[in-house]
Amino acid sequence: MSDPGRAGAVYDRGYRPYDGPLGGRPAARFALYRTSLRRAVGLRRPWRQKVAPAVLLAIAVIPAVINVGIGYVTRDTPAEGFEFITYREYVGVSSALLLFVALVGPDIVCPDRRQRVLPLIFARPLTGADYVLAKVGAIFTCVFAFSFLPQVVLFVGQMLVSDGALDYLGRHAAVLWQVPLAAAALALFYAVLGVAAASLTGRRMVAAATLLGITLVTSSVAGIIVETGSGGGAGHPAALLDLLSLPLQVRDLVFLGRLHEDSSLSGVTGGGAMAAACYLAVVAAGLAVMLHRYRSVEA
Amino acid sequence: MASIVCARGLTKRYAGVTALDGVDLDLPAGRVGLVGANGAGKTTLFRLLLGLSRPDAGTVEVCGMAVSDDPAGVRSRIGYMPEHDCLPLDQSAADVVATFGELGGLPVRAARQRASEVLDLVGLDEARFRPVGGFSTGMRQRTKLAQAIVADPRLVLLDEPTAGLDPSGREEMLTLVDRLGSFGIAVVLATHLLDDVARVCDHVVMLDAGRLVTDAPTTSLLHQTGAVTVDVGPTGAVALAAALVARGLDVTTSDVGTIEVTVPGETELDIVRDVVADLGLPLHKLTNRLTSLDDVFAREAPPR
Repeated sequence: MSDPGRAGAVYDRGYRPYDGPLGGRPAARFALYRTSLRRAVGLRRPWRQKVAPAVLLAIAVIPAVINVGIGYVTRDTPAEGFEFITYREYVGVSSALLLFVALVGPDIVCPDRRQRVLPLIFARPLTGADYVLAKVGAIFTCVFAFSFLPQVVLFVGQMLVSDGALDYLGRHAAVLWQVPLAAAALALFYAVLGVAAASLTGRRMVAAATLLGITLVTSSVAGIIVETGSGGGAGHPAALLDLLSLPLQVRDLVFLGRLHEDSSLSGVTGGGAMAAACYLAVVAAGLAVMLHRYRSVEA
Repeated sequence: MASIVCARGLTKRYAGVTALDGVDLDLPAGRVGLVGANGAGKTTLFRLLLGLSRPDAGTVEVCGMAVSDDPAGVRSRIGYMPEHDCLPLDQSAADVVATFGELGGLPVRAARQRASEVLDLVGLDEARFRPVGGFSTGMRQRTKLAQAIVADPRLVLLDEPTAGLDPSGREEMLTLVDRLGSFGIAVVLATHLLDDVARVCDHVVMLDAGRLVTDAPTTSLLHQTGAVTVDVGPTGAVALAAALVARGLDVTTSDVGTIEVTVPGETELDIVRDVVADLGLPLHKLTNRLTSLDDVFAREAPPR
């Protein structure tokens, strides 16, 4: 019986130098992105790691399926045209996206620090900026895909159950650029926040709790201030503190060109511009935190 | 032989500490031992070679490229094996090595193929699909070596590759390091185990408190001492030592059952031979004793 502690003897099988193409920094950056993305969606990992992305995708698609189902059932009836959910509402409607980022963001970042893999990564032709770009890019891709794919299901389904597919396409042509743009804005915001929180610690649970804590606390605090400051009526600038709804304000700007009337910033002069500026400031701050954290790594 | 590493006046200071102090180096493209006690500046030198840290003064070139001009480009030609644990524990050895091959610039397919090849080379062919977290220390060290050479670097930096290994694991690792030179890969082996350096390195660099104390071929440091080491087994060593002392020779016994005899000339060497024969002892070994790197290090970097 072989000794489980040993893998066997060292045999002389020779060594073959590599004489093929060798990519530089861009190839290394893309490789890190690809590896991180693979890890995020659970490829080449145990089945338990595949559950979260699969469940998220299922949850995200449910509203689209319901909406298309209603459209099919109510076709040629007085209720035809009823919308269970609109394209605008569908961007960021599910808090499962945030939960996914809180689970997966730390999973692709924290082990690198905790298991001291960073020195090996940075001994390759990569810089701290490359690392940040690859990790944020991987989470961005996941969140964007999970936001965008259900919209595709919704759009194609609605088009097929409508009276005229081309007519439906013509009437909803604007969503062809609004949906990807708004989904990208949401994905970028979540990805930056998620990776920035994960960059602060080597412990996944702490990182997840940090992200959820930041978003929920800012949302609650902003809600209280808005409620007391506006007397329950018009909006209040304190709503800008709400990191949970900030990307949704940007979503509304993409779809409507202005803030939605139900927004807690509604009625605030220059509220739309302030929301966009705050969004950019948060993204910039998150990137700055990450670049600082990966500026120098011990070999 | 062309230099694989060339440094001039290399200086690095941290808060209140000079980690490297005006070091000049010309390391040949072979197997170089980088020797020094903890805090001597070995890891700092590695950081500077990898371009992960900027020198406060001086310049360093690796593979003919100035590190300050293109640190990422230099890193694409270097493999690095850290001393500490640094492997993703939940991934298989094949995935780990292939991933670091890709990060070194290899295309995906080539990275997986070379990962398989180098894992074979380091003796992990049968274990390559097992998670690294279940590996022994020796297997992890070999995985670390595999990831360091997977992208076919011109230079590989090994930081204490035999740390934590049992004697047979250490021997296997040194055999692998020894073979890297024959593959055309230059090696810088940082260690405080001078025996490891004497065993596999052609060239020795000694650092002490950030200063360069020796930079020379290994053979030029190991001189004959005018003594011979005699191994007649532990039971015969006592009788032999007594007989040689009785013949007027200067004898030192070791705790491993060998004795060292000072032999200024051929006459004394003949006496040793004759006494062994007269006592009917089995002569396992009779060799000239060379200076050890320990001797060199103790002479060049005396304790302060």
